[in-house]
Amino acid sequence: MKISEVTLLGHKDHGKSTLIGNLLIATGSVSEARINDAKRTSKQLGRKFEPGFILDSFQEEREGGLTIDTTRAQILYNGKAFELIDVPGHEELIKNMMSGASNADFAVLTVSAKNGEGIKDQTFRHLYLAKMLGIRKIIVAVNKMDEIRYDKKKFDDIRSNIRKFLMKIGIQEGNIKFVPISAYNAENLLKKSSKMAWYSGNTLLDLMSKESNAVRKTEDKNLRILIQGYLESSDGRLILGKVISGKVKEGEFVSVLPQNIKSKIIKMYIKGRRSKSSSMGQNVALKLNATIPSGLRGSIIYTIPNSCKPTKAIQALIFSVKDVRARQTLRFNGNSLDCNINVEKVIDTTTGDIVNKPLKPLNAAIATIGLAEPIMAEPFSKSEDLGRFVLYYKKEFSGIGIIL
Amino acid sequence: MIKQNLGELEENSIYVLREAKSRFNNIAALWSMGKDSTTMLALSRKAFLGKVPFPVIHIDNGIDFPETYQFREELTKKWGLNLIVAESKIKPEMSGFSCCGENKTVALKKVMADYGFDALIVSIRSDEHGIRAKERTISPRTRDFKWDYKNQPAELWNDYSSKLDDKGHVRVHPLLKWNEIDIWNYIKQEKIPINPLYYSRNGNRYRSLGCTHCTRPIKSKAAGIPEIIKELEDTKVEEREGRDQDKEKSYVMERLRSLGYM
Repeated sequence: MKISEVTLLGHKDHGKSTLIGNLLIATGSVSEARINDAKRTSKQLGRKFEPGFILDSFQEEREGGLTIDTTRAQILYNGKAFELIDVPGHEELIKNMMSGASNADFAVLTVSAKNGEGIKDQTFRHLYLAKMLGIRKIIVAVNKMDEIRYDKKKFDDIRSNIRKFLMKIGIQEGNIKFVPISAYNAENLLKKSSKMAWYSGNTLLDLMSKESNAVRKTEDKNLRILIQGYLESSDGRLILGKVISGKVKEGEFVSVLPQNIKSKIIKMYIKGRRSKSSSMGQNVALKLNATIPSGLRGSIIYTIPNSCKPTKAIQALIFSVKDVRARQTLRFNGNSLDCNINVEKVIDTTTGDIVNKPLKPLNAAIATIGLAEPIMAEPFSKSEDLGRFVLYYKKEFSGIGIIL
Repeated sequence: MIKQNLGELEENSIYVLREAKSRFNNIAALWSMGKDSTTMLALSRKAFLGKVPFPVIHIDNGIDFPETYQFREELTKKWGLNLIVAESKIKPEMSGFSCCGENKTVALKKVMADYGFDALIVSIRSDEHGIRAKERTISPRTRDFKWDYKNQPAELWNDYSSKLDDKGHVRVHPLLKWNEIDIWNYIKQEKIPINPLYYSRNGNRYRSLGCTHCTRPIKSKAAGIPEIIKELEDTKVEEREGRDQDKEKSYVMERLRSLGYM
């Protein structure tokens, strides 16, 4: 069955792991043994039962009361399946948050309404990153309502501030939903809370059900096959690749770019068998009637004619995790390339505003990037696969980018 | 237990297996003759046109079930596998933790060093254990096999860009996204040969398969694959309930994995 990937977002201690823990329990999606293990550890640590321990499995996570790394858990509700992705809320663990959130279909943000907590920089930053990673639909779960006596005004204030921010960064109003909850008491998760009679909307799980058809793929129908490597077979050298968009048939003429090798596909194999045609998402092995040189990993196969041109200069929106330097390594579709980064405008990811400051970690920038070798870049809005990259400085992950 | 789309899981695993073969120079896979690592071999045959193009390693502590050894011989012959048996004879004083932890890990270290493997395919699934759910698809290990789980590499989209320290290796996890029930549905769909210990005999069957010392069967009448699938649809019990090494002490899986266990 189709499983929607849902990433949690939000500041540390605003209840992401607790929420997933109680969603697992409420929907009967977790074994007694795992609940008992979480109960036992809570007791050993002298705390009240912490449902978040169902996900936070590392000793350091449980004792420290934080999520260090991303994890996943599946639930079934009303015939719909979801994979909930827990992510760390701490700033210094943002690379783990990004690893978890990068493929999500939609997001659930938790923000604590408790006095002294409320909207934090990290609340907005996670939303900014989610938008950048291609997530278009956001459910905002205003949490810890039980700790503020279910105060409607506090909920309304948070709603209005977050809505303003989301619309400013380009999320459409119809794609933003709000629900007041208590993750710890499981209020408004599965069952409506009688303590928030002023809230007439859906419970969190019902809101999630409505988003379960959300899809993030934007690829058009044109053929693109990402070349992964080679297979030396009894049939000679085959190209291994993945169809990232469109369709292809045996006998079709194609070109491999940026090398500009034109050839006919003589034979195609899918899952080990000969196949006349293939479609999006399939891994293929191709026999061409041209000589296949080495070094094609990361190149793209298109049909002829096509309008895609190799380029050595791209404009991108980048998010900086560590200091982004002028000369870095850019990873694009499995290849590493040397690049020059020229920052043009810096964006404060907690406000969405352009600021007149140098680019610091945890902020974003519009940049022009020059590459040592040509690549088949496309705008992220047209092809997610060919419109995104990862930045490294030496061996250290330093950020991500999407092509504008 | 949620049944996922087998076609999507299969394509994802093929992609990861091909990525491992394309990225790394000298890869091998662990094969315990259990259902998961046997499914991984079936997926490799799909990815590489009917062949398993890398050696498969059995870490053999000498006390696996007779059925397991027999299954190893039969499938090795049938699929033309390049089998490496890494011996790790268990000693009488060893507990489950020290057998899985030190004994098997020492044997694994030796075989990796002897052959110079830089990547090891391991058929773990994230639904087996909370610690395994924290894993990356491609996950580096240090020279002394440590898993630095507090500082895992970023893994965005399909960019498996883990950098290994020059002396270490990477673990490749092509089955990370599969659920137990998906494995059985796939075994059924593809008619993958399977170790007979999974089928019920005298009211018991093995749901998770280790060696004779640490694995206990579950009560079950499931004598065939459709019955196993039916049983899993209704169960609320953990798959590894019968595996002692998971629960000798708290965080034992975390300690085992951080030391190099599978």
